[in-house]
Amino acid sequence: MIPSRWVALLFCTVRLCAATDLTVLPDSFRFGPTGQVIEPDHTAGAEPAHKIVLEGARGGFVSCQLAATVSLGAYRLDIKPFAADSGLQVELFRQWFHYVPSAKGYFPDALVPVRVPHSATLPDPDNKVPGQTAQPYWVDIWIPATAAPGDFSTTARLDAAGTTVELPITVRVLAASIPAEDAIVIDHNSYGTSWFAGQYPKLVQKVGPGFYDSPEFYALIQAYHRVIYEHRGVFHQLGYGHAGKVGPEFAPQLAGSGKSKHIDNWRAYDRHYGPLLDGSAFATTRRGPHPIPFAYLPVNPEWPASQVSWGEPGYEREFVNVVSAMEHHFREKGWTNTRFELFFNHKKRYKGFSWDGDEARFAKDYEYMREYARLMKRAVPANSPVKFVFRADVSWTMERQFRDLAGVVNFWVCGGGMFNWYRDAARTLKERGDIVWTYGGTPPVTKPASQMTTDLLRTWLLGVGGFVRWQTVDPGEDPWFHFAGGGETLVYPGDRFGIAGPLASVRLKIQRNAIQDITLLNSLSGSRPLDALREAAAQRFNGAKVDEWWGTRPAFADTDPDDWSNATIDDATSAQAKFANNIDSNAWNRVRAYVMESAKEVK
Amino acid sequence: MLRRLSLLLVPACLFSQAGDPAASLDRVAEVATAMVDGDVCARIETPRSRSFATKKDPRDPWRGSDNYDVDDASFILTKKTLIRLSRLCAAACDVNLWMPLSSDSGKVQVVIRNVNEMSQFWPWGALNQEMPPEMKQVLGTGKRMTVRRKPGMISVLAPVYDSLGDINGLVEVVSRLRPDPRENVK
Repeated sequence: MIPSRWVALLFCTVRLCAATDLTVLPDSFRFGPTGQVIEPDHTAGAEPAHKIVLEGARGGFVSCQLAATVSLGAYRLDIKPFAADSGLQVELFRQWFHYVPSAKGYFPDALVPVRVPHSATLPDPDNKVPGQTAQPYWVDIWIPATAAPGDFSTTARLDAAGTTVELPITVRVLAASIPAEDAIVIDHNSYGTSWFAGQYPKLVQKVGPGFYDSPEFYALIQAYHRVIYEHRGVFHQLGYGHAGKVGPEFAPQLAGSGKSKHIDNWRAYDRHYGPLLDGSAFATTRRGPHPIPFAYLPVNPEWPASQVSWGEPGYEREFVNVVSAMEHHFREKGWTNTRFELFFNHKKRYKGFSWDGDEARFAKDYEYMREYARLMKRAVPANSPVKFVFRADVSWTMERQFRDLAGVVNFWVCGGGMFNWYRDAARTLKERGDIVWTYGGTPPVTKPASQMTTDLLRTWLLGVGGFVRWQTVDPGEDPWFHFAGGGETLVYPGDRFGIAGPLASVRLKIQRNAIQDITLLNSLSGSRPLDALREAAAQRFNGAKVDEWWGTRPAFADTDPDDWSNATIDDATSAQAKFANNIDSNAWNRVRAYVMESAKEVK
Repeated sequence: MLRRLSLLLVPACLFSQAGDPAASLDRVAEVATAMVDGDVCARIETPRSRSFATKKDPRDPWRGSDNYDVDDASFILTKKTLIRLSRLCAAACDVNLWMPLSSDSGKVQVVIRNVNEMSQFWPWGALNQEMPPEMKQVLGTGKRMTVRRKPGMISVLAPVYDSLGDINGLVEVVSRLRPDPRENVK
């Protein structure tokens, strides 16, 4: 008879051996805490594998996800470097499982950078996921523009409980290159910097009471720009509130009033924007040092001129003097590659001002915009090399504003649902030289990962220049253990992990990879008709034609917008729901396969 | 020893009284009652907008906000007065205008806010809200009231009169003991 303790030991040993595993998924499916694909990403073919081949063009990333499965205890994960002459570089990130109470489940998203070889234990004592037996990692592999086409291989290796498991990774580098300039702009909006204190308590405590005037503060702002830029996006920070209060680092310091109002100093503004506008903030990035393409101006109805003088000569004098001085400063600094946006974000419902700057509904409010266009014309010399644009975020009355504010507004950011009613709008506006983007939200972690790509594809299919995610840095009060889902964030504060900057997310990387694919596909339009490329991509995504991505202009669009309601608008846009809610997890994989095949065919 | 300490404390108390932020706000509130024109205030929200203020639509929770509208001239005239009043404060302050809802006297709405977006009463984004008891008292008695609801904030509420001599609104003169230059920049 064998003693029971030996049976138990034998059983445990067998189980440990069997439990140690290293599996891989493409970037589009996410692992759960037991090593299986999470429910929202379930689809045919979404199975963890023991090897992977990644195809990618030069000048971009390819990605996959590894899961280290260990029943209990310590493990070590390593990825051998690719051959030095390949130029391929590997980055590894540990995925954090966020508990989402509304879904009663764990979803991976925040990515904590780790060095290889990486040692850890399961279950992760920090993440505290009950029953966790697998730890997923995001693997980014950078293919430099100078890489030679061909196949390059490496191995990921997991050591745990005396067992070693290896997993081959092959990167097939195509001859094609991803253009440096993206086919679409994906914009990541945010508001002010007051949230830094809440999201970076350790950093703020370390720096002390002078945090908001410290080098660490300005470095943190730049770190946000950098992480978005590295992921082929644009970061926007609005620097004023709904009643016109301007954050100190978003505007030059003013002094005086009336005809003596002037810029006293540029200290905080230049510390904030200088490295962003000359590109030096991005010197260490793979994409290289480029000035930010867009920046909000601090101009609003209360700055630089006070409402106390509205309609009087003093308002015009204050506005023109200060904005003229800004133009002069920007010109002297050589900040001529950025579009400075005159943009009004206030709504009259918030009671700061008497008119809607954002999503204007009432036609009488257009008159204010005309007046500000007039003031800008007075302030900025016609031949200025500094690029000023007048941006309006529009929804209710966009069609009328396109017509009535022609020559006033030249940068339109349009509510995505209603914009679909006006299929000629993008072309008409672009023909007259205007910039046209749409805006919307961000799919939460509880949705299929492929939904991150829907707004990107729509932007490109409809011939729109960009898409704004209206809030991208607000992960909520407790993103780690009580997460609302991440519909308002694509990055996380690194403070918890001792990192004085934002962490990227799985969704941000999925988005980046899709931007690369779209940009590569768009670049093939020199050898194939762009419309054909669009149709083929649309068909692979969800079987629809490009035409179906447009909606139908409803009959009530000809009635007075004052009589519209959200209910009637929802009814008129409901047909578009199939492009938002029913996207299967393989949607982007099919598009990517098409992009890669097409890229290979082009000589 | 104690006597000498008392001699030191007396001027300190006097100074503290002279710099009392509540007293400064109260003086501004008193002037506001004299300067803010209740008839103009009554014309700020348009009749159409008022008709949507308390309408409920389960399919359109933003119906009231989306239809909120003001008469520009009345709004701007009053806002200019409120800005000028705020310049009388010893420290950064806002002078907000509040008015009861014509369709529901149990509710009140902020009608004009100012640059610092300070208020002890406004939950961010509310189109209108239940009448706070302090406001009800000021509207009923016409007496100014100092309110310390939120830590570090002081408000003085003061009545606004129309040409009939009726109280039809109130101002909130509000300040923070420690202003945050980045608060409400969002």
